Amino acid sequence: VAKIVLAAQLARWLPADGGERETAWQCAGDSVREVLDALFVQCPTLRGYVLDERGKIRRHVAVFVDGTALSHHSDLGEPLGGHAEVHVLQALSGG
Amino acid sequence: MSDTILVSTRKGLFVLERGVQPWSVKQTAFLGDNVALSLADPRDGAWYAVLDLGHFGNKLQRSRDRGVTWQEIAVPAFGDAEQVITGDGKPPLPATLRLIWALEAGGPDQPGRLWAGTIPGGLFRSDDHGDSWHLVRGLWDRPERLGWFGGGYDQPGIHSICVDPRDARCVSVGISTGGVWHTQDGGDTWAQGASGMRAEYLPPEQSFDPHKQDVHHMVQCPAAPDTLWVQHHNGVFRSDNGGTQWHEVENVPPSVFGFAVAVHPREPGTAWFVPARKDQARVPVEARVVVARTRDRGRSFDVLREGLPQEQAYDLTYRHALAVDRSGDRLAFGTTTGGFWISEDQGDRWQMLSARLPPVYAVSFA
Repeated sequence: VAKIVLAAQLARWLPADGGERETAWQCAGDSVREVLDALFVQCPTLRGYVLDERGKIRRHVAVFVDGTALSHHSDLGEPLGGHAEVHVLQALSGG
Repeated sequence: MSDTILVSTRKGLFVLERGVQPWSVKQTAFLGDNVALSLADPRDGAWYAVLDLGHFGNKLQRSRDRGVTWQEIAVPAFGDAEQVITGDGKPPLPATLRLIWALEAGGPDQPGRLWAGTIPGGLFRSDDHGDSWHLVRGLWDRPERLGWFGGGYDQPGIHSICVDPRDARCVSVGISTGGVWHTQDGGDTWAQGASGMRAEYLPPEQSFDPHKQDVHHMVQCPAAPDTLWVQHHNGVFRSDNGGTQWHEVENVPPSVFGFAVAVHPREPGTAWFVPARKDQARVPVEARVVVARTRDRGRSFDVLREGLPQEQAYDLTYRHALAVDRSGDRLAFGTTTGGFWISEDQGDRWQMLSARLPPVYAVSFA
């Protein structure tokens, strides 16, 4: 299980369903790909904000795993540690 | 006349309404977000807004209550195998959606059909009000597409879509930079239609190559659909035969350069342009904002300036930012510096909106 933390700028696009928009999620999976997929099951519209239509991390989105930024060319299937923390942020570029 | 105008800006969608005060901002949506384009579907009254979120990609929103509530819907997407190959020597890249650059409603007999033009040059069709989109392969798979290239953007794009009111299966698209293409069967097969257009920016022997014409914007007269007008990178062109053959209109004052064009809904010979100094400069000629209008198919033009700033004005009007309403009398345009003007008399006199808007990308009557 990993903890995924979404930037507020990203969480604001989630449906609120009448309540607060969550910025922190617990998601099961053994890789970044799996935990993100688990998150996208709960928040289907979020996928297109984080990944492009080919499943690549968007050019101006940054993903940190336990404090280290993933390369946009990195393999999202690499194994995650037991209690990883994944932060999904907007990169300080573009936009 | 239409009393509602949708203004898509760098910082949100602004809904202008005519009330006791002549015109004012009635409501906003997506304030702070980049709204590239909007559409009011004349068939069912639905509104659509293209959000070009810098970090998170393009999104589409739909409102069925005139902007009170919005719902995110699907966006066009390219398949894994699709590539953008261009005719200007850039290396091939995977095709991914860069911008929804055109959005139009299908015919009255095609409820739910929408067309979306995109950068990097894909045309998409929806038959369910935008809940799903399909790449129009008949155009995408044309070998000539590989010769298209970007105009102002890195990749080619479809910015103009004209659906023929006589037969909604007949659709024409304008491409920067790839000329004009027509289908008569709803998108299955396509034919090039930019003969007569001339590109100054090419080597002379290629200047009439229809595939390399940088169409900035194309419009079709609803009541006389065989007449289309194009504002092109280095000129203005008119077609009298449904967009197959084009005639250059060389005498547009004060400049043949510009982005925007509008055509009167019933009088095919009446069209408006917002010229600018070509083409690296892109500011008003002599810092005066003017609109050029012809009423005789381009033989002569009026330069309309009453109510428009005539000194120290550096407003540029983008391709989707000039609109005419169904009456043909009311026009509106907005600019990169947030200027916004409305005319009730075909452009003879203009009234400035008192609001100071963000940079304006697109204007449409709802």
